[in-house]
Amino acid sequence: MASNAISARSTRKKVTMHDGFLKHAGYRWLKISSLIMLICIVSYLFVDVSPRHNGGSWYGYTLGTIGALLILWLTMLGVRKRAMTSGSWSLKAWTSAHIYLGLSLIVIGTLHTGFQLGWNIHTAAYIFMMIVIISGICGIYFYATIPKAMSDNRDEMTESQMLENLRSLDRQLHESAQPLSAEHANLVLQSLEQDPFGGGFLRRISGKYPDCATREAQADLRRERAYQPKMGGDDPLDKVDALLQKKEATLARVRRHLRLKALLQVWLFIHVPMTFALIASLSAHIISVFFYW
Amino acid sequence: MTFIVRQIAVTSDGREIIRSNPFDVDQIGIGRSAANAIHLADLAVSPDHAVIRNRDDGHIVVESTSGQGFTLDGRQSQSVTIDPAEGAELGFGGHIITVSADDEGTIFTVKRIDAVSDSAETRSEATVYTLKGLLPSKRVSAWSFVIIALAAFLVWPIYTWATWQGIEERSDAFHADTLWSSGDLSSAHHSLENDCQACHVDAFVTVKDSTCLTCHEDDAHDHAKPNRLLTARGEPEGLEQIGAAFASAFNKPPGRCVECHTEHEGEGVMQPTAQQFCADCHDGMDGRLTDTKLENASDFGITHPQFRPAVLVQPGGKNPQRERISLDDNPTEYNGLKFPHDVHLSKTGGVAQMGRRLSAKYDFGPSLVCKDCHTPDPNGVRFEPVDMKEDCSMCHSLAFEEIGGTIRTLRHGEPSQVRADLRAFYRSTGPNRPINLGGIERRRPGADNETRVASDYARAVRFRPSRANLAISEVFSRGGACYDCHGITPPTAPGRVDYGIKPVTQTDRYMHKGWFSHEAHNDEDCSSCHNAPASKMATDLLLPGIKTCRECHGGEFQTASDVPSTCAMCHDYHPDDGAPWLIKEQQKDKQKLPDKKIVSR
Repeated sequence: MASNAISARSTRKKVTMHDGFLKHAGYRWLKISSLIMLICIVSYLFVDVSPRHNGGSWYGYTLGTIGALLILWLTMLGVRKRAMTSGSWSLKAWTSAHIYLGLSLIVIGTLHTGFQLGWNIHTAAYIFMMIVIISGICGIYFYATIPKAMSDNRDEMTESQMLENLRSLDRQLHESAQPLSAEHANLVLQSLEQDPFGGGFLRRISGKYPDCATREAQADLRRERAYQPKMGGDDPLDKVDALLQKKEATLARVRRHLRLKALLQVWLFIHVPMTFALIASLSAHIISVFFYW
Repeated sequence: MTFIVRQIAVTSDGREIIRSNPFDVDQIGIGRSAANAIHLADLAVSPDHAVIRNRDDGHIVVESTSGQGFTLDGRQSQSVTIDPAEGAELGFGGHIITVSADDEGTIFTVKRIDAVSDSAETRSEATVYTLKGLLPSKRVSAWSFVIIALAAFLVWPIYTWATWQGIEERSDAFHADTLWSSGDLSSAHHSLENDCQACHVDAFVTVKDSTCLTCHEDDAHDHAKPNRLLTARGEPEGLEQIGAAFASAFNKPPGRCVECHTEHEGEGVMQPTAQQFCADCHDGMDGRLTDTKLENASDFGITHPQFRPAVLVQPGGKNPQRERISLDDNPTEYNGLKFPHDVHLSKTGGVAQMGRRLSAKYDFGPSLVCKDCHTPDPNGVRFEPVDMKEDCSMCHSLAFEEIGGTIRTLRHGEPSQVRADLRAFYRSTGPNRPINLGGIERRRPGADNETRVASDYARAVRFRPSRANLAISEVFSRGGACYDCHGITPPTAPGRVDYGIKPVTQTDRYMHKGWFSHEAHNDEDCSSCHNAPASKMATDLLLPGIKTCRECHGGEFQTASDVPSTCAMCHDYHPDDGAPWLIKEQQKDKQKLPDKKIVSR
């Protein structure tokens, strides 16, 4: 019961922490961002720009300037996040503003284009911006959903404990496999020698490991023993089989954990480099516009 | 010789524990099975992996018994002979066995070097659960993208610009600065698509008018003097100041060609000038350009002055004097002719009757209509001048003599010839010979009467040529053929007959600043705009006012009107004598008539 209570409390704490940056200060930044988007859309519809809306009108310049400054400010989160503070300009407030103002950039940037898109660097900058925003949206989604799944999966085990668990099972397997024949021992050895953290990015992100040596070893042993009469007494293979099963369960948990953790991180591998691609192409966009003025 | 097996185990805190066992036999086994003297708890080792035998010469032989090999000093083998005095290192799975010798015998020091499993190996828990090593690092890819984007989007185009600078025409090959193009050029400029520098000559300098005029010297007629244009437009107001601030900060002077002729707006025809551009200046212009003679205009349906046709002041000459008078002032115009439209268009009366009589010959209807006298010009835009011979002489005959079936007419437009012809007529013809002359049939009795008739006739014959002057006077005076239609200048002195015809000027276009095509209005009756049937005088100016036009034409924004019309439908910014640009473009598209759905810009 006590552990349940602690678990419930910790779960609740997690949820509030992860929802925190979205709900911060009663959705203050959602409201501000919505207002900005509304003002942009309404003014876009009502402002008469001749001959038609484009980035080069006074309205286009205004949106472009706001958008560019906003992009630079949003990028500053990367610097800001390294210093955690509290208060109304706490990191959480900053993150909340980052998310909602970043979303408003969809409207500001799109209206700045005047829907004139083509195969040029201006559209390239726009596409980079949209990639950054969409990857950010993925990030929000992951941060909103994964921590709970991760917590459920870990079942209060720490990462070190998971690793220790594996090591312990490996030691036991090693021990129990001593009496086995060379062939059987070899199967177990393959399980022991396979890197539980190996397998590349695709395996990590999909959580699927088709060449899992532990599963193979167990399957081979079982296939072999399926039609053998059950021998009385201590068959070391029984123990090995049980240990392999345990190890497989632990591996499954570790792999789920790895997958969730990878998802929490992977969007940043797009979000961050694309932000820099965006800033570079944005600079090219601005300079080129004034270069061929 | 004794085999001494020393097993080294490492405790968790790194201490080594050595257990030593002597075996006084000739042969010992190596394997995972506990029965072996050298027992290796190693799954990579067979239960009975190999044996070690003593040889008589003090060497030992290590030989695999399981078929699985081992290593000697790192080299894979099945069977080796070793001199223990020299020493060696044997490798079995994750274990090494160091061979040495001392006085007591051959010593085998057994030590585990590999971890039991991969997971048992030391690893950094801080990174093992992260994506580190699985993906290129964020820092590396971020900087790579920065370098690639700057190189492709900035350095390369600038390099292209720099290397092609000052060259008249660039090659057709790919040029990197085309990556900067914000959209396709209009079809007129399509050939310049690959040649950015045709227009963008200097870096950070906006496209100059002089560049446009390289090609458009002949068709870019000035709209007004540049300084007056800028005054008329006024200072930017409100939020427009943002654009103006950008423009002045980045060296973009106002009033250039490209301000209206925006390019890179996509493939296709360059859009006609937006009405807003006209209204920018002409709406409330008198407040800014205080000495202007033009009235304000913003939209045809809302603010547009009454038409001011160029009315003749005095007919005649090559460029007769004209004056622009508002139709609200009911101007009249004397063009040198007399012509009551009402009489000619009346459905009853002598003209209609004459028309009916001649209908078989001239295709007249029950009464005369406009087209019987007025002929459209080849474009259908305006009308040919009325021609006496073509359009009037069917009824208004100038015939004066018939010779052998041929009718002789007075020459139109040549008063001196008229006089000469009439004189020749009277000189060459005699008076009618009296029927009672020289016979007895109808003679009155008495010789006196015969003499009187003869002398009367002789006198008539003698004076016949002098009758010509009277006939000339009659032709040029009230009731005469010329006087009917023309103004006549009197003779220079009493007794003379050198009458003249006052000059005539027929106006084919009254409104030179605006465009009107009659053909575009073919669906309408002439009289729905020109109230000719009620006009009694040729001086009536039968032009319709703006009210009549507005019955069908609304402004740009009056979409409910039959024909929402922008400024560009009638006006050109760079006007020539032809149709406005918008109309020309529509005609190109075979849209002869302005459709109800006019492109608003």
